[in-house]
Amino acid sequence: MIPIKYNVRNLRVRWKTTLMTMLGTALLVASSCILFGLVEGLEYSLKISGDPLDLIILRKGSSNENTGGFEANKADDVLNLKGIARDENGASLAAKEMLNIAIGERANGTRNNLIIRGVQPASRKLRPDFKIVAGRDLVEGRGECIVSHSLSRRYKGAQVGGQLNFGDKEQYRVVGIFTAGGSAAESEIWADLKDVEKNTGRDGSVSCVQLRAASQADYENIQKTVNDDTQFRLAAVPETIYFENQSRSSLFLKAAGTVIAVLLTFGAMFAAANTMFAAVNSRTREIGTMRALGFSQRDILISFLGESLLLCTLGGLLGLLATLPLNLLTIETSNFSTFASVSITFRFGWTVAAVAMIMTVAMGLFGGMFPALRAVRLEVISALREL
Amino acid sequence: MKYFTYIFRNARRNPVRSVLTIASTGICMFLMMLLLSFFANKNEVTDGSKIYNRIVTMNANGFAGMVPVGRIREIVAIDGVKAATPFQWYGGKYHDQVMPFAQFAVDADCIFDILDEFTVPPAQLADFKANKDGTVIGRRLASDWNLEVGDPLPLKGDIFPVDMNLTVRGIYDGPSNRDLRMCLFRFDYLDEALKRVTMSSSSGGSLATNSARASGNAGTIFIKCKTGNGMAGLCKKIDDLYHNSEYPTRTQTEEAFGKMFGEMLGDLKNAIYGIGVAVIVSLLFVAGNAMAMAMRERTSEVAVLKAIGFSKGLVLFLVLTEAILVAGFGGALGSLGCKFFCDVVDIGRYSGGFLPFFYVPWNIAIFGLVLSLFVGFASGYFPALFAANSSVINGLRKVV
Amino acid sequence: MGEISSIILRNVHKEYHRDEFVIPVLADLDLSVAEGEYLALMGPSGSGKTTLLNLAAGLDRATKGEVIVHGQDLGHLSEAEITRWRANNVGFIFQTYNLIPVLTAFENVELPLLLTHLSRRKRRENVMTAMRIVGLHSREHHYPRQLSGGQEQRVAIARAIVTDPYLLVADEPTGDLDRTTAGEILDLLELLNREFQKTIVMVTHDPLAAARASRVLHLDKGRLVDEVIQETRVSAAS
Repeated sequence: MIPIKYNVRNLRVRWKTTLMTMLGTALLVASSCILFGLVEGLEYSLKISGDPLDLIILRKGSSNENTGGFEANKADDVLNLKGIARDENGASLAAKEMLNIAIGERANGTRNNLIIRGVQPASRKLRPDFKIVAGRDLVEGRGECIVSHSLSRRYKGAQVGGQLNFGDKEQYRVVGIFTAGGSAAESEIWADLKDVEKNTGRDGSVSCVQLRAASQADYENIQKTVNDDTQFRLAAVPETIYFENQSRSSLFLKAAGTVIAVLLTFGAMFAAANTMFAAVNSRTREIGTMRALGFSQRDILISFLGESLLLCTLGGLLGLLATLPLNLLTIETSNFSTFASVSITFRFGWTVAAVAMIMTVAMGLFGGMFPALRAVRLEVISALREL
Repeated sequence: MKYFTYIFRNARRNPVRSVLTIASTGICMFLMMLLLSFFANKNEVTDGSKIYNRIVTMNANGFAGMVPVGRIREIVAIDGVKAATPFQWYGGKYHDQVMPFAQFAVDADCIFDILDEFTVPPAQLADFKANKDGTVIGRRLASDWNLEVGDPLPLKGDIFPVDMNLTVRGIYDGPSNRDLRMCLFRFDYLDEALKRVTMSSSSGGSLATNSARASGNAGTIFIKCKTGNGMAGLCKKIDDLYHNSEYPTRTQTEEAFGKMFGEMLGDLKNAIYGIGVAVIVSLLFVAGNAMAMAMRERTSEVAVLKAIGFSKGLVLFLVLTEAILVAGFGGALGSLGCKFFCDVVDIGRYSGGFLPFFYVPWNIAIFGLVLSLFVGFASGYFPALFAANSSVINGLRKVV
Repeated sequence: MGEISSIILRNVHKEYHRDEFVIPVLADLDLSVAEGEYLALMGPSGSGKTTLLNLAAGLDRATKGEVIVHGQDLGHLSEAEITRWRANNVGFIFQTYNLIPVLTAFENVELPLLLTHLSRRKRRENVMTAMRIVGLHSREHHYPRQLSGGQEQRVAIARAIVTDPYLLVADEPTGDLDRTTAGEILDLLELLNREFQKTIVMVTHDPLAAARASRVLHLDKGRLVDEVIQETRVSAAS
């Protein structure tokens, strides 16, 4: 076996080429990682809570809480169902919620539709990692609201102490800023349920009920009770199913992201192959010498493949590192199925690392395969004679 | 150019390297075309709607608010208005797919006078006007789902608590850069169904949970103006009319309405542009590296040229032209290849309603070409400079 | 053979700078080459003979002293001017031929003419003339890899004379050739000197090559140490 330090030294000697190839492939890997980090983040931003025992109660047939509203008295019946979990203070982990979509204006003058969610106290516990990060939580009945961190950074009036006005009737004073683990709540403005009902004139109905079951058995019971009741005409949708339905709208983006990543991988492969071919060509005499000394064709093949992998791994690592600073970046855009604002937090989890790894290995192997084969096929004598 | 033979032969000298460089440039350009065309197409739809002289009225507070359909009568009476129709987004499920294409409830009698870029065979239009459950669908939608006149088109309510069991009465056609994937059905059919549901609610309360989902909501109103000049004035007039009512309106030109959706994209636009820039920079490294490697192998040859009397400027020119040629060729392949690909493969079909159409406009393709020439120049610049300034003596001394 | 001096070197010093080291190559060199002379430079490696050649050909500049070729003081010319001067006045012949591999024999010979304003037809005439002189006009469409070593050198010589320069410089022209072929090349050089009055300055290790010259100079450690004037020249024919 040809020792790996032969490859390392060669990469170091031709450092300019090595560096340029690294930078080129790193950028392509970074682009792919950013894309997948975005797609991952988008998926995550559609989750409400992610807890497996959570249920969302919607009007039967509806697929989205924005439009799945039903009567308030039915909602109260749901809240009284047996089997709902309780928090440490004995309060029921169930909340009626009402959604409203209104036009908000960003600091740069452009507009987007914002989700205003009228909530009850338990709503917070039903979100992952809900935290007030500035100001304080709202007090019921005072026309106050809290906004997500992402929105507070971009929208006029969405800072602590600011005022959000949506038409003449809907006005809220911002008293705090919250985060919720990158979930759907991070795209929302929260106000007291009663205030939202009053302002929009919809006090007879709710958009949904969020609740957590006390146990797996309760989880199934509640589902059965709600779904089977012909009078209710409601559906108890498990969080996972609800989430799947939402993310179907992100399928197109996922597909587009994958296509782009594949294209980038090919681009990077060609770049690596170019470098490796040049490497082989400039070392024909060395290769001939090694063969003359007794190293087998397999040794040469593995050596060059190894060098290609090493080169690409360096590029891939660099690309991955370059994306790390983006890790907590949030971008705010539109959810194309609800036309409401959605804040996407980049997530560099295992998917992204896997993408980087796969790209790197693909580049290294496929990019290096042909050059390595050429190195192997060189005839010893002619290689030694080459000037 | 008398030097062209030499430049051209040099580019073909190492075919593997040239092919790989061309392939890299081509793929990156292909990708750039996709990204840039996405934005260009979106802009085209909004810019292209200027000529139709239409304005759109919606609730001032957003899509969740209602626009009473009764207002259409008032609006049509305004001087300068040719016709007006409700244009309510239905957003139903088809074959269990959520919103695979756009569905709108409209006024059958005047919709095609307002959307006058579309044509419908008169017999089909008459059929649509005569049958409440009829729908007219776009040509592309018909071919996507293999639908013909007479086929059923059942939609399940998602946003609205009613299903729409429609029958295809007509197929509309129009310019290829407009949306030919819409499903237009009758507003009165939807409205009556909604009224029935409201009245027969068995739990003794109104099921109209949200005024926007109740009957009588036009959603948005599409208005055809008599001339283009008066549009801004008309917008203001309509908004003033309803300013103090319970449902104030916001009326704007169709172009501005479209731009509004584009604005919502927000940061995503910048993210995509950022990726585009990263790809180009990467290409600079890749192409630059390839050129540098090529030049390194030709040091003695360059020295000979300079010994013979080729000036620095000439050597610079020869190397740069070679780089531009290779990159330009790759870029052309990528740009034109993408354009051709999008012309042949109807991407809009697979986008689930996200893109009504997708193609690469000529100006974007040409931009791609120019960009690849620039990449060739930028990537060849330093190797060329290096070669031009290389020492003749040292170059001749090498035994290669 | 005229007595007009074609090349004059006066008090020439040349040193190279490598990192912080100063390497002297030529020291206090005086030399005068007559027009139409055939000069051979010999000496061990590092003696400075190639450097001397480079100075005379305008490829390099003296650190001190004057280099005057055919009346032109090379020290007064800028980089661009000396490049143009080389194109018009000097022909180069190298040990390793240094032909452009992607060009045919014809195109290689044509290369220096691309720098002139001659029409395509005129260029063709000159190239064919040069190729006829070296005896290779039947091989115009061959690429260098399709030619033997001797043929490649002939093409190189044709390229060197196609602009009809005064001066030909040759750096080990027979270094890579076998005895017979070397003889043919040397015959050609001699022809150029005798029939066409080209001034030739040749660096060589080969005593047989040196024997063809009219004057042989020996260098050692950057100085002229010996000079041999040869009235009779040995030709391969005898």
